[in-house]
Amino acid sequence: MKKSSIILIVIIAVAIAMIMVIYTDSSTYSTFTEAKKKDTELYVVGVLNKEREMLYDPVIDANRFAFYMYDNDSTECKVVFKGTKPQDIERSEQIVLTGRMKGDEFHASKILMKCPSKYNEDEVEVIEAPGLPTTASAID
Amino acid sequence: MDVNYVGENLLPGKFGQFFIILAFGSALFSFISYYFSVREPENVLWKKFGRIGFWLNTLSIVAIGSILFYIIYFHLFEYHYAWQHSSKSLPNYYIISSFWEGQEGSFWLWMFWQVVMGAVLVFKAKSWESPVMTFVMLCQVFLASMLLGIEVFGTRIGSSPFILLREALDAPIFSDPNYLSMIADGNGLNPLLQNYWMVIHPPTLFLGFASMIVPFGFAAAGLWTRRYKEWMKPGLPWALFAVMILGAGIIMGSFWAYEALNFGGFWAWDPVENASIIPWFTLIAAVHVIVAFRSSGHGYFTATLLTLISFVLVIYASYLTRSGILGETSVHSFTSLGMSGQLVLFNIAFLVLMIVLLVRHRKAMPRTKKEEDIYSREFWMFIGALVLTVACVQIIASTSIPVFNAVFGTDVAPPVDPIPHYNKWQGAFAVIVLLLTGYAQFLKYKRTNAKSFWRNTLITLAVSLLVTAVFVYITKVHSNFMFILLMFSAVFCMVANARILGDAVKGKWKLAGSAVSHIGFGLLVAGALVAAATNKVVSKNESGYIQVAGFDEVEEPGDNLFLNQDEPKDMGEYQITYVGDSIVPPNVYYKIKFDRIDEETGDIKESFILKPFAQNNPEMGGLIGTPGTKHYLTHDIYTIITASRSDIIPNKDAGNEDEPAGYEEYDEPATYEVSIGDTLRYRNGFFVIEGVNKDAKLNDIPKGKDDILVGLQIKVHSADEEEYAAEPIFLIKDGHTYDFNKDVDEQGLRFRFTNILPQKDKLEIMVYQKPLPEKSWIVFKAIKFPYINFFWAGTIIMTIGFIMAISRRMKENKKVIRKKKAVA
Repeated sequence: MKKSSIILIVIIAVAIAMIMVIYTDSSTYSTFTEAKKKDTELYVVGVLNKEREMLYDPVIDANRFAFYMYDNDSTECKVVFKGTKPQDIERSEQIVLTGRMKGDEFHASKILMKCPSKYNEDEVEVIEAPGLPTTASAID
Repeated sequence: MDVNYVGENLLPGKFGQFFIILAFGSALFSFISYYFSVREPENVLWKKFGRIGFWLNTLSIVAIGSILFYIIYFHLFEYHYAWQHSSKSLPNYYIISSFWEGQEGSFWLWMFWQVVMGAVLVFKAKSWESPVMTFVMLCQVFLASMLLGIEVFGTRIGSSPFILLREALDAPIFSDPNYLSMIADGNGLNPLLQNYWMVIHPPTLFLGFASMIVPFGFAAAGLWTRRYKEWMKPGLPWALFAVMILGAGIIMGSFWAYEALNFGGFWAWDPVENASIIPWFTLIAAVHVIVAFRSSGHGYFTATLLTLISFVLVIYASYLTRSGILGETSVHSFTSLGMSGQLVLFNIAFLVLMIVLLVRHRKAMPRTKKEEDIYSREFWMFIGALVLTVACVQIIASTSIPVFNAVFGTDVAPPVDPIPHYNKWQGAFAVIVLLLTGYAQFLKYKRTNAKSFWRNTLITLAVSLLVTAVFVYITKVHSNFMFILLMFSAVFCMVANARILGDAVKGKWKLAGSAVSHIGFGLLVAGALVAAATNKVVSKNESGYIQVAGFDEVEEPGDNLFLNQDEPKDMGEYQITYVGDSIVPPNVYYKIKFDRIDEETGDIKESFILKPFAQNNPEMGGLIGTPGTKHYLTHDIYTIITASRSDIIPNKDAGNEDEPAGYEEYDEPATYEVSIGDTLRYRNGFFVIEGVNKDAKLNDIPKGKDDILVGLQIKVHSADEEEYAAEPIFLIKDGHTYDFNKDVDEQGLRFRFTNILPQKDKLEIMVYQKPLPEKSWIVFKAIKFPYINFFWAGTIIMTIGFIMAISRRMKENKKVIRKKKAVA
């Protein structure tokens, strides 16, 4: 057998093994109910419950931020994040959490937010103009 | 709806749109002409047409750029692009960054560089001009189509930077002909992009992307015109150039992330970063196989495939970053412009082109029957290139998870913690690649004396082991076997190449370029390893940690430290104090004083102030912090503000203090019956009733005969040992009682002398206190990055190595040409 063929086979084997391992490393987008059953870190996608208060008081503890979130099944859960409050969380339209359940609280290690305003798609701010709305929003 | 809008300057947009159409048309014309110039070389007219098309294209692109710049520079907010990406307050040099903040601007940048490359080819490529320019212009056609912004059969093709605001958005104000005067300002540039690296990083990166078309063009032209072996000679310096520029561009992006972003690091395996590093890896692999082929005749197919696929991967990278498909997985990809179909088409076109060329010419490709010798350099260069390719496959596979989801309708989430996921793989690949770049240097092409190879390798091995031991000890990366192994490979690579460099100084200059760039690469990996493996959050909140309800178990202390203004705290070897803010709109600079204190003597050994700053930009999503970094030779102290008082409680207007009469600002008063000599406490200290002043006077009210007018002398001692005097006054005039309060503003106190109680021999006072002014505070995070300078230094050294290699290859090519001429 030629050396190059052997190398090719080895390379292909490594590549296949690698791709399989990548998919064992990969995760799933989950819900709070499922998170309770599993003990691994996973993603939970949902929206912020804007009715309930967000708790962040840096004077007491600068590394604790808690809020309530609905997941995609509309289950509400308290989320605790060890860190400062992300600045634009009030404006987020979707939140992707990474973390795991501990008792009844979801302990997030990462919060990723999708904000409509991040790159400011469709809002025109207008100087005072009587009889007109101050902010005009485009209709997508 | 016909409205005559007031104040719009529509001329530049009309011109701009004209030049976009012209750019597209001329690129297409040039592409077709060059194509036929290759098919019918006897007809000289085709080449002439191709050149005319190219120069027209150049003119249009320069014109588009100038007009777009004009629109942004003069704040013509009737144009969507200017409104969306700039604002009036933006300093001039950031106008440049806003130019390429949007997709349209960055496509323009790509096209501009491609035109520059094209101009060099037109003048220098000689017999290669027509076939290579065919591919360059084909790419230019696709890029120009991205800017068209016209509708064909109901689908919009491209997105024009000259679209008007009222066309782009559908809002009620546009029914007013005077709408333009109501638009106060543009959206402005994302604060994260307001950084000097953002002025220089995108042009460099896009020069890298644009220059990748040239090696692609040469490789494709080589197959197409059946000059199979020849393309590598002129193509190699171009490939080296592309690798050098793209590498520099990527590291500049990493420097920007480190200097301006707040994720606390220089590389995060973000999909956007991955997308740009993939073609870099494959082209580096290609360069090595090309060099190996030229010396040994082995690996023609691999060299050509890698060169071609590198550019296909560049297009794939722009698909990933521009189509919006990364959405949830990336922090900083572009938002979608609805052009993903067009991008897919662009990608498929070049992929199909590559496959067709390779398949059609597979039989005619040069190959050797002879097997590679194990003791030959080309064999191991080949292996190295394959390892790099496999490394790429890993990055592509992990980064493309959202693409697979879109294609197969699955819902797989990417790895929860991407950094360890990628490091695990790439660390292992880096070890192999570094070891190969080390010992392959001791091999010669074709056949090497095994004895001399082993002697060289073993000596290098011994030296490297020693150096590694010292390095590992100093940089403290001994916690993990993988770190030690990686460090050893990096050191081995550097030592081996240093020996080659030593030989080069003695006269074998040929190998100097590769030796230098390999040393740079080794240093880069070593620096990245140490900085990433041993960086430490130094702002651990250990001492001041308070147990909070809801945390039953003992939690690890958090990474963020709370700091009251003017209250020093110990942080590692430093005593840090938040001394105040300074505001340079739109940024707030938080001054944090660092004092390094000698533990024994208590002397301050070193003192500096870091000024991390933040921009509170509600348009862009609140407080956006930019780190402040103290650079030392051996480490960096990196500080970032994560929260501050001013962004939670808006600052009170200073003007309010002109109204001292109001009692609203004070808490409920306390009433005391006191005697002379009494001492009473208040929140921030105490005060003493010193005496009664019977000669007190009031300026406006004359004292009547039967009136009683007395002052009460009070001395306030605050906690910080300041003293203040106050004398409230009590007046009985014509049977009515009045009192005149006195304030001690500094302490937020107000005293009223409200009654005299002769029966009890007491005086009645009322004390009002303002709630204690809350002190300013910040929450911040500080990270120590050891030896990160190795990372930057490695990059610079690597780039110098590339420059040396390019100049060597160009000199060689010239020599060959001269020889040929001499023979003729």
